Amino acid sequence: MLTAALAGLAAGGTYALLGVCAVFTYRLVAVVNFAGAAVGAVGTFAMVMLHQAGMPLVPAVAIGLLAGTIASGLVGAVMSTWFAESDAQTKAAVTVAMLVGLIFAGLRVTGGQHPRQVPALFPGAAFSLDNVVVTVAAVVTIALAIAFAIGATLFLNRTRVGLLLRALSEHPMTAELMGIRTRLLSAAIWLVTGAATSLALMIVAPEWEPNFMTLSELIVPAFAAALMGSFRSFWLTVVGGIGLGLLEGMASNLAWLSQYRGGLPFVIIVAVLLWGQRGARWDEAR
Amino acid sequence: MKRANIGPFAGILGGSLAAIAIVAGLLPNYWVFLCTTAVISAVTLQSVGVVTGRTGMISLCQMSFAGIGAWTVAWLNVHGAPGSLPLWILIGGLVAVPFGVTIGLPALRLRGINLAVVTLGFAAAFDNVLGAMTFPGQAQFKFVPRPLLFSGDRAYFAFCVIVFALIALALYLLSRSRFGAAWMAIRHSERATAAHGVSIPRSKVSAFALSAFIAGIGGGLLAGQLGTLVSGSFDIMQSLALFVLGTMVGAQHGDGALLGGILTAFFPELLRRLHLPQDLGNIAFAVGAIQALSMGASSSEALRTLLWRRRARRLRRQPSSARTAIAPGPAAMPGTIFPGGHGPAPALDIAGLTVRYGSVVALDRVDLKVAAGAVVGLIGPNGAGKSTLIDAVTGFVNRYDGALMLEGCGLDGLAAHRRALVGVRRTWQQTRIAPDLTVGGYVRLAAGRRLSGGELAQILDWLGCPDPEERIAAIDVGTRRLLDIAGVVAARPRAIFLDEPAAGQSHEESMRLALRIAEIPARFGSAVVLVEHDIDLVRRACSQVTVLDFGQVIASGPPDRVLGEEAVIKAYLGAAQEGLTV
Repeated sequence: MLTAALAGLAAGGTYALLGVCAVFTYRLVAVVNFAGAAVGAVGTFAMVMLHQAGMPLVPAVAIGLLAGTIASGLVGAVMSTWFAESDAQTKAAVTVAMLVGLIFAGLRVTGGQHPRQVPALFPGAAFSLDNVVVTVAAVVTIALAIAFAIGATLFLNRTRVGLLLRALSEHPMTAELMGIRTRLLSAAIWLVTGAATSLALMIVAPEWEPNFMTLSELIVPAFAAALMGSFRSFWLTVVGGIGLGLLEGMASNLAWLSQYRGGLPFVIIVAVLLWGQRGARWDEAR
Repeated sequence: MKRANIGPFAGILGGSLAAIAIVAGLLPNYWVFLCTTAVISAVTLQSVGVVTGRTGMISLCQMSFAGIGAWTVAWLNVHGAPGSLPLWILIGGLVAVPFGVTIGLPALRLRGINLAVVTLGFAAAFDNVLGAMTFPGQAQFKFVPRPLLFSGDRAYFAFCVIVFALIALALYLLSRSRFGAAWMAIRHSERATAAHGVSIPRSKVSAFALSAFIAGIGGGLLAGQLGTLVSGSFDIMQSLALFVLGTMVGAQHGDGALLGGILTAFFPELLRRLHLPQDLGNIAFAVGAIQALSMGASSSEALRTLLWRRRARRLRRQPSSARTAIAPGPAAMPGTIFPGGHGPAPALDIAGLTVRYGSVVALDRVDLKVAAGAVVGLIGPNGAGKSTLIDAVTGFVNRYDGALMLEGCGLDGLAAHRRALVGVRRTWQQTRIAPDLTVGGYVRLAAGRRLSGGELAQILDWLGCPDPEERIAAIDVGTRRLLDIAGVVAARPRAIFLDEPAAGQSHEESMRLALRIAEIPARFGSAVVLVEHDIDLVRRACSQVTVLDFGQVIASGPPDRVLGEEAVIKAYLGAAQEGLTV
């Protein structure tokens, strides 16, 4: 059982990191970004295609990261140019539309829904516990998720800009009036999350032989993790993401369940929402 | 049946007949197939229209519901269920409903984008389940048979058109009902809708369940068109693409859904003939959806706004008594409705009301008794707690201390919409009427009861509001504020809170408004609490005035006495000056 659970560790680390990115984007630029994993898929597939075209791994990874960062930056540019003052529903709908555009464009460029071989950035085992192997990929993704969560927490709690942003996240105009260069800052947020997502997906992609669509759909477990953190807490999100990965690992070991383990994030989402609505209230805004 | 109802009926009927005649009579087989695809897509798009277009929620699993409908039809076929395709399609739609309710219940109690997240999760999970098992009959090539009458491709096209037209008609009728108006109001403001006595969760879940039903029907129609089904037709990408297309075309309108259906079927065909890749279509739709979202109007709505404007201009040109501003005219209309109010007890009794926001005390042990048939002015400088008091009494403050009684019945613990139903209504400082509604639709929604055409006209006329068929988007904000009042009085509640009804009105207008407000108790049987900065209006409309400052009552009594008190003048002007005679 432990072996099976740990097999889900790398996936869990990825869910955690994607979840943390989702929470970060939501808290700082007030967007629930459905295209969050798709920009990572852009980076990953840029790397894969360049590598298959004969480019050595290191420059291919570098260019892939750049591509994912730029893709995320473009999503952010659309959001802050036309939708900075829109309500949450509209912003979410826009990112859904971008997700659709990115997936169809991505599938076209990368050659459809056939699974792709992805070169492993971190092959092999890191260490073994009781004959249970923990891969380097798992260790790296979890470390990345934790590092991102630490960075985000420090930024929000320790810097002047972070504190102000927390106070003003609902009102970008107000922040602008207070002398914060919100456009620059939100651009930075989009770029950083794009790079982090791309890196995480590159590391974990070899485990799945994915296509562009399946990688983009990783936003579902990422949101499940973010919901466990109520789209607020980075740490609960990290724990939730890793937990979800472990659960999936266990499920894949049970014959009757393994086929349906893709439904796990949905079950988690419903459970979290049921738990969260105990105190349904009118929020202070509006 | 009202005059305005006939147009769309005739339009849908005529359009359907024309479509059937042209497509089934003239076009070659391949085109009939494409047209059938277009109509079936239009049916599923109407489901997006209900949940996203009308109610403003994001659902990303409509094709999963269609898949449930199709699966049910295939299952019924394989197991030789009695009846034939039309019945099975209906059952397929019904089977999708409990799924919709189950997903909707946890997501819709709370506000925000939960539904988008949970539906995307459901679509992914459904993919997973569908991938693990095949459609019933798929392996044995057991085709879903069409009903005898509609067995040919052309006849089946006609069948699909009939289903589409029936759903479009039903949705049109629904949009004119209080139920449908509530959905549109929710999209604009949940709070304002709850203040009309509408249960927000129930309304949202019902919209979502109906959308699941319609999508299930669409899936069943697809089963009849194709005979045998593959899971790819119902995967997550189909759901996402459907959402995007629905957003682009504005699927809440029948014509928008039809436009979307035609695009689904023929745009890829066009690309194919131009030797372009067909998935460019979905990319184009994504761009179109973003464009529509940035404009705040879908492509069919842009057209519609043009038409509405023309119509509004026509209405305005007609000489109408409704367009004249409040006339001082005959004060009593025939038959005063509720002489003397609901009863002798104080209509509203607020005792020791305290509201804290963190360490800030917004209201501090406020007592206020509002006698039946009274108009009580509630005044005080900005930040005194007037709006907080309204929020607390009408159920929009999460925590307060104190006791609220309405004619001897406790209000505490009741949700906002329950309070509205037992008889406490309010208006808002900023008007929150959904612009998609008509004047009549709004007042009927706010009334929360059956309102005869005559009564509606009387109320509108009394306040000088425009024609019931006029669209809210076409009238100015000053008139919308009057409409706010028309809405609350139409409900004939026991107590009405008016939050700065005269803001933005000219002095003359607000003096006329004062007369109308003073008439409310005799005419509608409601006690009124009037929050206002316009002291002249307060003086003229109110029999009693209570003054709040920093959350405390500093004076209470007849207007002339209270407005002369030094403490009141000081609270307003910051220092003692001679008299508050503005």
